[in-house]
Amino acid sequence: MSPPLVTLNNLEVHFPVGKRLLGPAPVVRAVDGVSIRIMPGQFYGLVGESGSGKTTLGRAILRAVPIAAGSGTWEDSEVHYDLHRMTPAETKDFRRRAQLIFQDPYAALSPRMTVRDIIAEPLEVMGLTGSRQETDERVREIAAKCRLNLEHLRRFPHAFSGGQRQRISIARALVCSPRFLIADESVAALDVSIQADILNLLKSLQNDLGLTFLFISHDLSVVAHTCDVVSVMYLGTLVETAPTRRLFTAPRHPYTQALLSAIPSLDPDDRGRAQRLSGEIPSPINPPSGCRFHPRCPHAAPVCTEKIPLPEPADDEHHTVACHRFRELERRGALLERTRVRKLDAKA
Amino acid sequence: MSGGGALIEVEDLTVRFRTDEGLITAVESTAFRIAPGEVLGLVGESGSGKSVTAKSLMQLNAGNTLYDPASRISLHLDGRTVDVLGLKRARDLMVVRGGAISMIFQEPMASFAPGITIGRQMVEQLELHTDLGKRAARDHSVEMLERVGISDAGRRFDQYAFELSGGMRQRAMIAMALSTRPRLLIADEPTTALDVTIQAQVLELMKELVAEFGMAILFITHDLGVIAQTADRVAVMYLGRIVETGPVRDVLRHPAHPYTRGLLDALPKLDALDQPLTPVPGDIPSPLERPSGCVFHTRCPEVIQDRCGVELPTSMEVGERHRASCLRLEKAGELVTG
Repeated sequence: MSPPLVTLNNLEVHFPVGKRLLGPAPVVRAVDGVSIRIMPGQFYGLVGESGSGKTTLGRAILRAVPIAAGSGTWEDSEVHYDLHRMTPAETKDFRRRAQLIFQDPYAALSPRMTVRDIIAEPLEVMGLTGSRQETDERVREIAAKCRLNLEHLRRFPHAFSGGQRQRISIARALVCSPRFLIADESVAALDVSIQADILNLLKSLQNDLGLTFLFISHDLSVVAHTCDVVSVMYLGTLVETAPTRRLFTAPRHPYTQALLSAIPSLDPDDRGRAQRLSGEIPSPINPPSGCRFHPRCPHAAPVCTEKIPLPEPADDEHHTVACHRFRELERRGALLERTRVRKLDAKA
Repeated sequence: MSGGGALIEVEDLTVRFRTDEGLITAVESTAFRIAPGEVLGLVGESGSGKSVTAKSLMQLNAGNTLYDPASRISLHLDGRTVDVLGLKRARDLMVVRGGAISMIFQEPMASFAPGITIGRQMVEQLELHTDLGKRAARDHSVEMLERVGISDAGRRFDQYAFELSGGMRQRAMIAMALSTRPRLLIADEPTTALDVTIQAQVLELMKELVAEFGMAILFITHDLGVIAQTADRVAVMYLGRIVETGPVRDVLRHPAHPYTRGLLDALPKLDALDQPLTPVPGDIPSPLERPSGCVFHTRCPEVIQDRCGVELPTSMEVGERHRASCLRLEKAGELVTG
């Protein structure tokens, strides 16, 4: 089996907040000890609510924010990089291999550049083509792959709808033939009828070009439909990681279960089934001790306030859960409140 | 006109905006009614005109708005009928603005004045719309903040919007909107900016409050799941027209209009993980290029060539109180086209 494309071990990202006269400035631990492995060809999902650190984690992989502690490595068939330490030449090469698709297709495109120039810019900046003709050829090729009309290349972004703009953003990210793409809330700003089109496009591009994706989203239904593996983040830590179907049919962590049950069901007769989580996500500046979820967890016990739970395999190494009590609770049947997916599976 | 027991009746509402590019139609020949205590969900994508429709009920649209002369909005209050679009002076509009109708918005940070405390804003509207004195208005406001689940309400009362978290701001917004006991609450995407666990809390709260206060709600959202969880009836809007309306169960289980079906098929569903997502083909047309005939014909997979682009579909009864506007339904021969 080939090695993981991206490996993170206990990765931490800190941001300074305010200043103090003496001693070190206080920091927000936006990402606090996250370990993940993204295999080549995977569509890896990262879900969490606002402030969970999912965007920061993505940026840390792309070296857009400094890594405070822990390690990260990149390994494809050609090169091996330490994400923590890279020479400028390595960074430049890495930028060609790993790209980002942004959330807001209205803010991500310069209004003063034509679509052709927007898509061609990475090629020019990285010096990947020898002539204008070669650039144009490559732009046309990638635009066609992203189902953009070739006449559109001469126009400016304002002439396009949200869905078309997102296709332009995707073409720009793909033009330098990266191996790995991070899609950070890339369909969140789109209408439902358009969203499905972009999701299908990302999936078909993944198949055709052999890409690896990190798909960051707050929308669990979208993640369930696109990703192979999903990690759930809460306040800078990973609470659960599992193959998609398993995560959605048999979640083990109390937070994942509550999160899934909070999604409004399309069935009007299925009202009021949400396990109500009290309170809100605490501030990451002063996170709760022990398990970060314990102030909102319906099953919190004294051990949860004292000890930080580490991810441990639930059934096998593919499914990990960071909770002190999930086995004990499952034995006692306290976590039997399963999601509606489980219920429907049983019915079928 | 009695209104058949309706609290508010909208008939033939057409709203246009004067812009540099010409006259833009945002809402066209829209009609619906809401009974007291009823929750009507208005669902649609961006540009469908759902917010413009809602704002028309309080005449909150911008200065370049033109209401077509045929448009009528009637509010039935204790035996008298208010012609909302006929109200001209700000004083007269107070009947609807904050009086019989309150509104909560998507972005609570943008809806509270940043430099005035939450409490001051709550008391101000009570002074305008009720006979409560300062002291009583304060007590009532703190009580409302407690009712929506804000702990330490006395302290929160004296805080500014920026000091509250997103979920708490939305709760404060709801408390403020309900403190004048409106007959109709317009909720414009009230949970869209919230995280899903907080959204569940706010929806739960709204359901409790409807039961307690007995007001009607016009619930605007793009999220069909939220509609399924809150509404009694739903109206689906596309490009300024209501294409389908009916009881929420019937519309979600037996959608009659191709657009409603398309929306449901495009939606990722947790109970059908293997079902591929089917996008609605094409893009939402720009408001400057409004399609003729049926507004949906440019994207409709069931379009009838030579007809849908020319003929305007009439609203057809497809079930009990369940109506849809599509030529395909007329062809089925339940009614003859006018």
